[in-house]
Amino acid sequence: MRYIDVFNLAYRTVISHKLRSILTALGLIIGIASVIVLTSIGRGVHSYVLSEFTQFGTNLIAVFPGKTTTLGLSGATISTVRPLSLADAVSLSKLDSISAALPLVQGNARIEADKKQRRTTVLGVGAAVPEIWKIKVAQGRFLPKNEQANPRAFAVLGHKLSVELFAGRNPLGQRIRIGSDRFRVLGVMEKKGQMMGYDMDDTIYIPTAKALDMFDREGVMEIDLLYNSKIQLKQVEKEVKRLLQRRHGREDFSIITQDQMLKSMDSILNVLTLSVAALGSISLLVGSVGILTIMTIAVSERISEIGLLRAVGAERGMIFKMFLSEALVLSFIGGVVGIFLGIFIVQMIKFAMPVLPVQLAWFYILAAFIISLLIGVIAGVIPAIKAAKLHPLDALRAE
Amino acid sequence: MMIQDTLSYSYMAIKTQPIRVMLIILAMSIGIASVTILTALGESARLYIVNEFQSLGTNLIIVLPGRTETTGGQPPLFGATPRDLTLADAEALYRSHHIAAIAPVSVGAAPISTKGLEREVTILGSTSALRRVRHLSLSKGHFLPESDANKALSICVIGQTIKDELFAQQQAVGKWLRINDRRFRVIGVLESEGQSIGVDFDDMVIVPVASAQALFNTQSLFRILVETKSKQGMYKAVDDISEIIKQRHEGEDDVTLVTQDSVVNTFDEILAAVTLTVASIASISLAVAGILVMNVMWVSVAQRTAEIGLLKALGATKGQILCLFLTEAAMLSFAGALTGVLLGKITLMALQISYPDFPFYLPVWAIFSALAVSLVTALIFGVLPAKQAAGMNPVTALNKR
Amino acid sequence: MIELENIHRTFQVGEQSVHALNNINLTINKGEYVSIMGPSGSGKSTLLNVIALLDQPSSGIYSLNNQIVTQLDDNQLAQVRRENIGFVFQFFHLIARYSAAENIEIPMILAGVPIQERKQRVADALLAVDLQQRATHRPDQLSGGQIQRVAIARAMIMQPQILLADEPTGNLDSKSGEGIIELLENLNQKQTTLVMITHDEALGSRAQRIIRLIDGKIV
Repeated sequence: MRYIDVFNLAYRTVISHKLRSILTALGLIIGIASVIVLTSIGRGVHSYVLSEFTQFGTNLIAVFPGKTTTLGLSGATISTVRPLSLADAVSLSKLDSISAALPLVQGNARIEADKKQRRTTVLGVGAAVPEIWKIKVAQGRFLPKNEQANPRAFAVLGHKLSVELFAGRNPLGQRIRIGSDRFRVLGVMEKKGQMMGYDMDDTIYIPTAKALDMFDREGVMEIDLLYNSKIQLKQVEKEVKRLLQRRHGREDFSIITQDQMLKSMDSILNVLTLSVAALGSISLLVGSVGILTIMTIAVSERISEIGLLRAVGAERGMIFKMFLSEALVLSFIGGVVGIFLGIFIVQMIKFAMPVLPVQLAWFYILAAFIISLLIGVIAGVIPAIKAAKLHPLDALRAE
Repeated sequence: MMIQDTLSYSYMAIKTQPIRVMLIILAMSIGIASVTILTALGESARLYIVNEFQSLGTNLIIVLPGRTETTGGQPPLFGATPRDLTLADAEALYRSHHIAAIAPVSVGAAPISTKGLEREVTILGSTSALRRVRHLSLSKGHFLPESDANKALSICVIGQTIKDELFAQQQAVGKWLRINDRRFRVIGVLESEGQSIGVDFDDMVIVPVASAQALFNTQSLFRILVETKSKQGMYKAVDDISEIIKQRHEGEDDVTLVTQDSVVNTFDEILAAVTLTVASIASISLAVAGILVMNVMWVSVAQRTAEIGLLKALGATKGQILCLFLTEAAMLSFAGALTGVLLGKITLMALQISYPDFPFYLPVWAIFSALAVSLVTALIFGVLPAKQAAGMNPVTALNKR
Repeated sequence: MIELENIHRTFQVGEQSVHALNNINLTINKGEYVSIMGPSGSGKSTLLNVIALLDQPSSGIYSLNNQIVTQLDDNQLAQVRRENIGFVFQFFHLIARYSAAENIEIPMILAGVPIQERKQRVADALLAVDLQQRATHRPDQLSGGQIQRVAIARAMIMQPQILLADEPTGNLDSKSGEGIIELLENLNQKQTTLVMITHDEALGSRAQRIIRLIDGKIV
């Protein structure tokens, strides 16, 4: 018996029970489509989060004060007896493997410009912000270089802050007050938007040393390092560690590389996608029980037909193949239609809600297709065996 | 036709097809079980977290230095401000009638050592009120004594993890501990909190707030924790605190106030939404099971055409036949739902045994709604086939086959 | 070509064993026309099933075309049936969802005959049973006589040497029954061995040889 004939017969049988076959396939279609939609959302969130993490550039290493083992908040960020100093940042920036270092202090203060005022986030930073964080200056320029130790009182405004304080007027060269200190506006940053729920546009950048004075702190909260991408990350990490250990006499700091962060983020998000896929597969499981049920019914309804086929010379294997391919045809139709439906829904979501990050997860689509065929095989095997096992005489006598 | 007759007729019809019935029950129970399990997991997580937040204290208000005007953003969790939130600010809050206790908090990291063992830990400076506000309990010794908050006493209370690591089997109370370059006497050991959100008190050393400020050479506080006298007084206390701080900070409103209620509510809402989403994704499988019920009912109507004709010839009305087939569909779904709930319960029990620390809880409403949903599904999906059966012409039906 | 030697067939019915065939010795030559007659329960269907290789004797030797077929396995039996034996049933056994032409085509599909050849042979077979106008009709659109003619066309499509008919007119009115018998006898004249079970004395006596069975024995 030719395979094309086996599938042709199966196909004929499937379409001869239109309603039943549609309903059976529908179970699978819903399952496959929901797996595809859910994993597309998972995939979308995945790349959204990763891009949020890399929008501040790549090849970054962050050094924090205090020895912590977990990524959690250490008390050392707030205050510590062994702070990371500005001088630490300066000497780190002199390493060959490091292209730029950014000592960071974060605070909160009231900004006044003429009569307008606004409370906002103050970032004490170095000149390397545009280079390390990949934020462009929209107007004017950023804080000057080589003024780490004793800087002049310059400030650069975030986009939103500039609009709030100066409302269309040119802010460059204007005098403003941060807390009780006076600064001169040197530049305005381009619009950057939210970063992990943190508004980058409602900030003001001032030199780190000024921020340390203003907030009465001894050490910085973090030093961000941009390293030369040609050098191995492990090597860079080792050098940074060695330098700081020499300067501090012990390891009282923590190094977190962007790579580590991305990797752990990546694996967390993969688990997330996998679990929504699993959630969607519950329907797939139910749908496959549906195919099993319908195939069982099909065998019991067609016992006398099986008897006839056996009498006119069909071997057991042929009967098995015929019923198995019927299940396969059903699941194939369900799988293909389900994939199209899923992709269609994903495109609709993209169209209707552009803010929602969705991205077709081709790996899962392929997996869904293979699974739908597997479902056909698994759900078809038991009824097919049952059909093949029937004794031709008994089968003929049925009815 | 009496109800028990309808039921027994449908039951007899179902009984002749045991494999089919088992498969439908399987399909339906997978759906129901996953909805129940996921709802239970979501609910348990919600209750667990809400509980954790509530156990942090009662009628708690947290005062943070600094304020941003960006709406919807996070509060300034650990930024510094030009004007410190000071101990004097904390004490001034007692002017409000609605406040029962105030615990100023100062936080930092420092190395601690005893007999050559050293490690870096988080040092938390506070007053005796912290114990009341944060509901801390001690396994040994005493908490910080009630005394002038400005006095930098050389005493400390340590967490369970630190006790185990630095003192192992020995008695810790009364021993001396070096924090950076100062010596502190251990006066108490905290009881282990087990899992707790946010702050890990097991891995922490608590010292008087003035001592912590001296240690870290700072005047500023990290937070002020405030317990109000009553829930009703909470919002009045919030207003009072703003007012007092404003007066003390030359008219500037530069603190952020977070009430325990708002945090609990936020988490409550988020987790309820997550539970709802997960449960509705799982209930897609119920729709799939419903389609299966419909499919099988259709097959059953087709196979029993002659029987339907006979019933009609014997005088059964359309309504009666509709009722018979709907009852059959409902029975199938209901059996599936019961099995599913049972399966869910067993799974949850197994989970409870594997994770004894986490309280699994299956809400009663979830059970009833699972049963109700399965019945409704059966009726919705059973109506079309039943209608077809009811609408058959008795003569053609009888002659079929 | 059909040789049965000391064939016994016993069934277990509950605790009793029924001796359906009791020491059958029978030889049927190529091209013969044999009718098997006997009362209900005499074992005539069992005999036909054994000859058709649908049932295996409990003991005895059956050789078909000088090949002993009693020891063949299930798949070999299926192949022998496919190539040597055509079967016409009392209850027709057409597949309801297939058209007349497709029902006739089935044995060739099972045998793996190429599509082009199949179409041609089906057309020829329809012509032979005078149903070329009914090719696309499904069984529920055909009369009983027409259905049985489709069944005969199907039985003959693989050009078997043996045609077995189990009460082929049992479910037909006498006029269509007559047509069916003529068709079968025509095939016999073209050298097909015809073995037919019947209740009908008149029908049975048209055969060259009549085998009468009572209680599983040839009398």
